Amino acid sequence: MSYLIQKEYVKYECTCGSLKPISKLYFCRHCLELRCGYCVCHEVDSHYCSNCMEHLPSAEAKFRKNRCNTCFDCPNCFHTLSVRATTRSAEDGNTKTPTKHYYLACFFCRWTSRDVGIPDQTTGTGNWPVKELPFQETLNSYLEYYKVLAMRERNLKEKKTYSSPLIRGYSSFSEKFGLTSMIARKRAGLPPLSLGGKENTQSSLPKIVPSVAVDDVEPLPDTYFTDLTKITTLSQRHSYPMLQAETITSLHPQHRHFYIKCSLRCRRCEHNVSKPEYNPGSIKFKIQLAAYYHMPEVRIMTFEPLKIGKPSEIILKITNPTQHLTSLQFGSLINSEERKNLKTEEISETKKEKLPLELPRPIRNLQINTDVELPQCSVILPPRDDAAEYDDSADTHNFQDDTKVVVWRKGNKVAVKMKITPQNGMEGGEESIFGFSMEYGYVNTMPTLEQKQPLRAEIQVNLFISRATYHLRRIN
Amino acid sequence: MELVDKYYDKAEYVETTSGNKVSRQTVLCGSQNIVLNGKCIVQSDAIIRGDLANVRTGRYCIISKDAVIRPPFKKFSKGVAFFPLHMGDHVYVGEGSIVNAASVGSYVYIGKNVVIGRRCILKDCCMIEDDAIVPPETVIPSFTLYSGSPAVRRDNLPDCTQDIMIDFTRNYYQHFIPKPKTKDELV
Repeated sequence: MSYLIQKEYVKYECTCGSLKPISKLYFCRHCLELRCGYCVCHEVDSHYCSNCMEHLPSAEAKFRKNRCNTCFDCPNCFHTLSVRATTRSAEDGNTKTPTKHYYLACFFCRWTSRDVGIPDQTTGTGNWPVKELPFQETLNSYLEYYKVLAMRERNLKEKKTYSSPLIRGYSSFSEKFGLTSMIARKRAGLPPLSLGGKENTQSSLPKIVPSVAVDDVEPLPDTYFTDLTKITTLSQRHSYPMLQAETITSLHPQHRHFYIKCSLRCRRCEHNVSKPEYNPGSIKFKIQLAAYYHMPEVRIMTFEPLKIGKPSEIILKITNPTQHLTSLQFGSLINSEERKNLKTEEISETKKEKLPLELPRPIRNLQINTDVELPQCSVILPPRDDAAEYDDSADTHNFQDDTKVVVWRKGNKVAVKMKITPQNGMEGGEESIFGFSMEYGYVNTMPTLEQKQPLRAEIQVNLFISRATYHLRRIN
Repeated sequence: MELVDKYYDKAEYVETTSGNKVSRQTVLCGSQNIVLNGKCIVQSDAIIRGDLANVRTGRYCIISKDAVIRPPFKKFSKGVAFFPLHMGDHVYVGEGSIVNAASVGSYVYIGKNVVIGRRCILKDCCMIEDDAIVPPETVIPSFTLYSGSPAVRRDNLPDCTQDIMIDFTRNYYQHFIPKPKTKDELV
């Protein structure tokens, strides 16, 4: 919970170099590396409307311009509009039974579709009138123009690549190995051939009318400045860029934007690290490799007030979320640059694997200004046991713990004591930050082709812990 | 940061067999219509309006001081009708918040001084920030963080929100303990 409401005191260093709290990190079981939101591929799984919970595949959502067909947003305050019904006796006098009429209303700002003269509908789902947009036609003609232009350029490119002997040689394999020409083209990274083999170059581009700049702009009327209640705000205009209504009488409800459900994929091994279920109402995951479930979680339990140059105690609570016993060792920070170079060397020598595109490493601007005295012995962490939550009896584990290091333990949790000393020369309001590396045993239960047995691996991670500034006191 | 122990006055709180801890300083109207499913905490000056319709909470729900839980109503042509209010497991309602929702899912965090309008639907794993106003009939989808007035989506929540909330409410319950007796009282 502290991850949702509190400042992030404990940060883990991701493989890419950025510092994140454990809740925002993922652990790829295949590469045995930490991954964060910046170093994974995001893929849109499904689009859904947050109001009616209708969900659609991407293609259909694109067709609907990523907007829900049934739900509307208030053009005034951007809250969702609700449908309201009124009964009205028929005006023509032919029928005596009163009919129901529907209109859209915002329950937050009390804006209604009647305010802007949208007629009431006789059905609840309503065929709400579509606003004619002033530049729709012009924009459509531009879109058409550039589509043709893009196609033409693509065809030109294709012609060029045809002449290359290498590609031609490749496609000749197609019959031999039963590859269809489509797949062969795809493999070679070429766009599919146009159907029928016809030359699809359109000789003439559709005509467009270029916009012309105007010299004289009509000055704003005086009422524009005096009656501000009738003028729309900037955010109201920006929320509907096609319309950009100037006065509140020309506001129009807009279809609601879809939200998305995303799955995440490791960039190096292309395995999923997070894959939610498609249904927007579900909070379950098909694949969930969040670091929260796979690596020990470190939390600050208590600490003494810090004094510059004087050691003070800090107690960290470490939780093992996995089903396997692990042991922890603490050491000084590992230089991630070095580690990375080592890794890349190994890879280039052994596998000659093609490395995926990596983002430039962020330069850490976190300055360690506090020394820490780490426990020398290793600390055993028992596996997580869900049944233990209901068992109030004392723990039966008998660990030979150094009482100077381990001050408390229960189930899969342990409290470890450390001594920290803020360095001399620290400013009064400065934040005290210390860091160390934590090595823990990780059991990879995922069977691979070569290895069917669970694999044990030692994993190292850098941690940075900061405390709030006001706890720092200078002693004179 | 680990939660610190929160002490309560033993005379003020009633603890039921299922582990509910309910303050005597609360207003529980229509208590026969209120079901707390165990290990819930209802703190002082909270109001639960069971007289309007049924109120049901799951396990490990925390209702903080001065919070109001009030079933929503809907206007019909022949008057109004109240609808039951269901709350899932591991829900936290902050101090001074008013909850008028039709349903609150599991693993939901509602901050301080929040107003949740009538017939809102809060899905599982969502969070409302402090001082937010959620207009009536809003649907808050899973893994989103809403804030402001009117409340709009500001951020997404991490994928492990469910376990973070379970951990938080369990910890809160474990740290909500009676005040140890002072030496004078022991004598």
